[in-house]
Amino acid sequence: MTNKLNEKLISSLITKNAKVLDIGCGNGDLLYHLEETKNINGQGIEISSKGVQESVSKGLSVIQGDADIDLKSFPDNAFDVVILSHTLQATHKPKEVLIEMLRIGKICIISIPNFGYWRYRMQILFFGIMPVARTLSDPWYSTENIHLCSIKDFLKLCEELNISINKAFRNSNYSIKKITRPSSYINNLLSIEGIFVLSNNINSVN
Amino acid sequence: MGTTGPSSINEKKNVQYGMQFPIFTIKDMVNLQLALINSLEIDQLFSVVGGSMGGMQALEWASSYPERVYSSIPIASSYRHSAQNIAFHEVGRQAIMNDPHWQKGDYYNKEKKPRHGLAVARMIAHITYLSEGAFQEKFGRDMQSKVLSWGFDADFQVESYLRHQGISFVDRFDANSYLYITRAMDYFDLSHSYDGDLSAAFRKTKCKLLIVAFTSDWLFPSSESLAIVKALNRTAADVSFVEIDSDKGHDSFLLEIDDFYKILHGFISGAARKKGI
Repeated sequence: MTNKLNEKLISSLITKNAKVLDIGCGNGDLLYHLEETKNINGQGIEISSKGVQESVSKGLSVIQGDADIDLKSFPDNAFDVVILSHTLQATHKPKEVLIEMLRIGKICIISIPNFGYWRYRMQILFFGIMPVARTLSDPWYSTENIHLCSIKDFLKLCEELNISINKAFRNSNYSIKKITRPSSYINNLLSIEGIFVLSNNINSVN
Repeated sequence: MGTTGPSSINEKKNVQYGMQFPIFTIKDMVNLQLALINSLEIDQLFSVVGGSMGGMQALEWASSYPERVYSSIPIASSYRHSAQNIAFHEVGRQAIMNDPHWQKGDYYNKEKKPRHGLAVARMIAHITYLSEGAFQEKFGRDMQSKVLSWGFDADFQVESYLRHQGISFVDRFDANSYLYITRAMDYFDLSHSYDGDLSAAFRKTKCKLLIVAFTSDWLFPSSESLAIVKALNRTAADVSFVEIDSDKGHDSFLLEIDDFYKILHGFISGAARKKGI
């Protein structure tokens, strides 16, 4: 799931002619946009056959597969950029997926719905219900989002895995802004979504 | 069938080749196609598309002559024939070779041909082309007439259908060709020359690939296609893979399935756009 704001930001982070993998590429809109605007060499992975069909029908190279399983077959640093837009929370093993992404991509762009967003907190606090909103649109019993986290949770995992955060952005529901201190309390409270550019510390040292 | 085969005249002896015809492989078929495009002075084929054995050829092109193809679309195929596929072929060949009229392949100038053997081979093969669901949907336990024969006539419609498939095949196919072509598929293994490392077979592959599998195809199941996709991923090749939902078995690749056509259309138009044609 990629909204237009997100698409614009991700596009601005990608250099021309880059080799890009979009994990969970859906109907291929983002890859198509990047091919048109940045002349990227794109590859997608999508779990739903409908998504794959729509993507391939746009002339994109997309494999029907599962982020939890199919990243393993790619060699190290196979891509300049690996994108995981609104998908990490739907994987069975987010930590392993993150590690695999950073192995196969020189940099990774990842966006996550932020469970620490104040409206979500309010829904639990005052109404006692699982949050439902624009970025988390399905109710608890049918959502594919099985591993939701807050920006704070995500940053903690990155630290644990020795992943460096090169750039961070927050989506306040209306606009996307660059943030200098991702770990600040206010970002976690006011962002509906966090977008991060990551690289592997170990990779960059080598 | 094809260009030259066991039923062609061996000009040295002025008689059909029969079993004197040399064993040929999928790569030989592709080499013949290569010779054709060379003689036509075609530098690069825009797309090589094939289902089943044709898919093996499409893969062989992508592996052996990567600079001569811009895109390749192997459909319902595999990089090698599985043990089960070889087993089915072997039963078919035994049916032919045990037909008394086969005469060690020397039947061309005889009155009787190994019709029964070839028909049985085709009946067996036809079962492998469909799926359990397709058979059930098409025939169920429907009968030819309301009363059972209490014998071994074709009481069930499925029996009569298979017999028809067998008999009508005999009129358009040469039994010896059947032996040779099934053998070519059995011998196919793209990874064989690379010590079993399939990705090594695609090391030079630069063309765009679309691999298509069908959910109910148990002759060339999706897992075979996935093995190719994984090998191509290891070489970071430009590959698409889709598994089309169909209950029609291996035969799906010959049928007008909406999603399948959409995918092919999309991939081919996309490739044409990139190629600037």
